Amino acid sequence: MSDKVTFWYGCNVVRHGDIIRAAIALLEAVGVEVTPAGGAGYCCGTAKDANLRAAEGMARRTVEKFNQHGHGAVVTWCPSCHRHMNGFMREYNDPQFSFAHITQILHQRRERLAARLTHRVERRAMLHQHFGFHEVDVNPLIVDLLKLVPGLELVVPDYAAPGHMCSALAPVPRALPDATRATCEAVRAAGADTVVTVFHSCQRLLCGLESTEPFHVVNYVSLLTAAMGIELPDEYKAWKNAGSEEKVMELIGAERIAAAGDRFFREAILPELMRRPQK
Amino acid sequence: MSVTNFPAKPATLIEHLGQFIADTLTRCTRCGACFKACPMTGYAPGLPAADAQDVVAGVLGLLRQEAGTADALAWIEACTQSGRCSAACPEGINAMKMMRVARMSALGSLGAPRKIAPREEKGFFRRIGAFSQLQFSADEIEKWQR
Repeated sequence: MSDKVTFWYGCNVVRHGDIIRAAIALLEAVGVEVTPAGGAGYCCGTAKDANLRAAEGMARRTVEKFNQHGHGAVVTWCPSCHRHMNGFMREYNDPQFSFAHITQILHQRRERLAARLTHRVERRAMLHQHFGFHEVDVNPLIVDLLKLVPGLELVVPDYAAPGHMCSALAPVPRALPDATRATCEAVRAAGADTVVTVFHSCQRLLCGLESTEPFHVVNYVSLLTAAMGIELPDEYKAWKNAGSEEKVMELIGAERIAAAGDRFFREAILPELMRRPQK
Repeated sequence: MSVTNFPAKPATLIEHLGQFIADTLTRCTRCGACFKACPMTGYAPGLPAADAQDVVAGVLGLLRQEAGTADALAWIEACTQSGRCSAACPEGINAMKMMRVARMSALGSLGAPRKIAPREEKGFFRRIGAFSQLQFSADEIEKWQR
């Protein structure tokens, strides 16, 4: 893969600006120059199974925009986007680029990354795994990357949840609470103080556990950037664990709430931030 | 000399799905290995006791734009794209994709009547836009998301 790429982070990860910035910092640390691209304007269309005309239009537009970037290479973050590109988008479009998952790029260049990981991260961390992203076997790649972090004790449990990330489980009754409960039990058995998430939806759906459980929930890119001496605050997690609507709004601030739309914020965003993980 | 005619690259999503469906219907032997490998069948009432070959036959019916069966629809609703089905298929069919395309069919996207409700989150893109406003500067949104 070339040294200049489009970094396609996806849609739902925009809740986690820290993850996107950490991912960019890591790619740059291993010598990759990135053009970040994500949000609704770069949606893959995977959520549009009930409207294939819309799905096709979104996919076609996104592929054309990547072609216009002219890098010849796209690095993905989101497993749903990666899967949709692999299984659908490229089949009827003309992508003029190769694509790989960020874990593959970081793993290929892990010697360069290791040289930058000079700060100790004193944690006993358990990897939260799913077994469903079969396009890229991310779990062993991430284990190798986290083993580079000085001070980090990593526990890889036997348990891996179904699906490719937690959001895949959410529509199936009992499935997400079962996975959350199993994760909590595995953390206790491991004696870990931190759960390491791989994907953004796991971070989104598990980070609220910090209010009630004796462990932290941290994405793997945050641990890697912490080892580089870069601390990027997880604002979504802070909002999720704020404890009251008033505190959430205080943390976010009136200016940002107004930019998001006051009414929509109260009707759609605030309820999401107040929702607790079920187990 | 035998000549194999491969289908041309499809120009549209619907064309691609048509090719995928035709290929799957040709290759699937209805052995049921995909269903037996699924980690999610316990989440759908009645499915653990269902006959694997019958459930798969119902899924193939959905690919043919037929009615399918209640068990096939229940399996589709429980699918989380774990991919164990694809690994189990002795014919090398992408069974996970088969389930996804059967879901599209059950949603009424391929011409047959809708049999299951869409899962699409109401206000999805508005939510994405709102969180972008909360997490990114105007400059980042302009450069990264337009």
